[in-house]
Amino acid sequence: MRQQFRDTALKLAGVDDKLILLFGDISVYLFNDFSRQYPGRLLNIGICENTLISMAAGMSAAGYHPVVHTIAPFVTERSYEQVKLDLCYNRFGCTIVTCGGSFDYAWDGATHHCYTDLELMRMLPGMEVIQPGSKKEFDILFSACYNNGNPTYMRIAADEHGLDLPVEFGRGVIVRESPGADVTVVTAGPILGNVMAACSDLPVNVLYFHTIKPIDTTLLMRFAHTRIIVVHDAFGLFEAVNASCPAAATYHGLPDDFCCHYGTLADIRGKLGLDAAGIRERAGAML
Amino acid sequence: MDSPGRQIRESILRISHHSGHGHIPTCFSVIEMLCAVYSVMRHDPGNPSWEERDIFILSKGHAALGLYCTLAHFGYFPIDDVYSFGAFGSRFGCHADRFKVPGVELSTGSLGHGIGVAVGMALGFKHAGSKRRVYVIVGDGEANEGTIWESLMVAANMSLSNLTVLFDNNRSQSRCLPVVNPEAKFSAFGFDVASVDGHDVKAIGQALERPADRPRAVIANTIKGAPCESLVNDIFAWHRRSPNANELKTLLGELE
Repeated sequence: MRQQFRDTALKLAGVDDKLILLFGDISVYLFNDFSRQYPGRLLNIGICENTLISMAAGMSAAGYHPVVHTIAPFVTERSYEQVKLDLCYNRFGCTIVTCGGSFDYAWDGATHHCYTDLELMRMLPGMEVIQPGSKKEFDILFSACYNNGNPTYMRIAADEHGLDLPVEFGRGVIVRESPGADVTVVTAGPILGNVMAACSDLPVNVLYFHTIKPIDTTLLMRFAHTRIIVVHDAFGLFEAVNASCPAAATYHGLPDDFCCHYGTLADIRGKLGLDAAGIRERAGAML
Repeated sequence: MDSPGRQIRESILRISHHSGHGHIPTCFSVIEMLCAVYSVMRHDPGNPSWEERDIFILSKGHAALGLYCTLAHFGYFPIDDVYSFGAFGSRFGCHADRFKVPGVELSTGSLGHGIGVAVGMALGFKHAGSKRRVYVIVGDGEANEGTIWESLMVAANMSLSNLTVLFDNNRSQSRCLPVVNPEAKFSAFGFDVASVDGHDVKAIGQALERPADRPRAVIANTIKGAPCESLVNDIFAWHRRSPNANELKTLLGELE
């Protein structure tokens, strides 16, 4: 998906000379083509996330469409006040594109795990929150939002869900509707792949939201009469669902504890019950 | 003390007394810097959103009352409007809102933010080939925040010669974390540094207009609360309080 970020930025930079990239010393080598093709429009500012965000606000004030890119925990948890005040309160547009969300850097341990970013960003007035689960979703949603004048938070993930779904900003997707089903599984991002494997023969509905804010309330309300379970490897979607839907959702995913394990993304998901087997057991218990 | 400075300080005292709000000493220490900046920079009080204007940012946002009274002095709005300072429904909050007050370019308050946004603006103007300049006042207390030094490093690394940082060296942190020898620090960070009497508008103005091929720092050596002896001699007690009627009379007398 990070390659898609590069390709989409290359495409848009050709038609919008106000698109400018501010990087926190990451992905620079991957973007060599961008730097060659558009000199001076990828600025590798340094390892200073707070200043990256403040500068993006200033670049927006100066008429640019800044895109900040660095690692998720450092630009959300560390730089929360800069995002809150310099971008949201001052209403300066900026797109924050992060990598390393949830357990994408599983092997690096708890300092590099980041499952609060989506919810932290969701709570900020004016912020748009997107968790693409495929390259196609990234391309369409980034293109739709990067120059709309609002602050937007987007994660790029290490894996994809593997489905080809319709994509429109702010619209959820019915991945599967089972006639008469009393249980609806709601998810976001790449983990949809595990959800679909888990629910392949279960009589449940499956809803998918690449856009967590604004959440598609209309779609949720259609399923409010069912029992909703949110399956997600980050906070944010569960809170968005409960904030907009009268049916109290339950949650399957993160415990109230640090994940003090290493290994791969699959290892961590297995440990948390977010592999297909774990999700199937939890969803099946609701039937 | 020259006339604008005395007049603006009188407004600060009267509005603080009237409203019950105000950081008077920190406002007093930036008045000459504000007067110098608004005398040097390109701006149009009749058209605050003029596209070719220079930018001023008050990074130490708690001196907002000083900024309001200075903007009123330069014709952005009548000073009488500012008497609603801090009240519900007022557009003049104890920290400024850029959507409410003409001439305010950034809503500040939490320390350590304005400088980073100023760096981004300066970078944007430079990138666009614009001649617009950016001025930002940073407090020495504010310089306890690490973001100040991050931003200075980036500004120097980007050779932002269109950026000027005015450093209010009023020694407000003498009781905890003083920023000693700011001239050497700014110089070490790659800035062109001038050190001036922070209550001398002419000297500050000359420092602002010095040519430089890198970002500039004007270390403004100020006395917090000056010229009111009552404030200078008790800056911590006066940090965030407004004068009662008797104190107002005393402070107005000390302005002369």
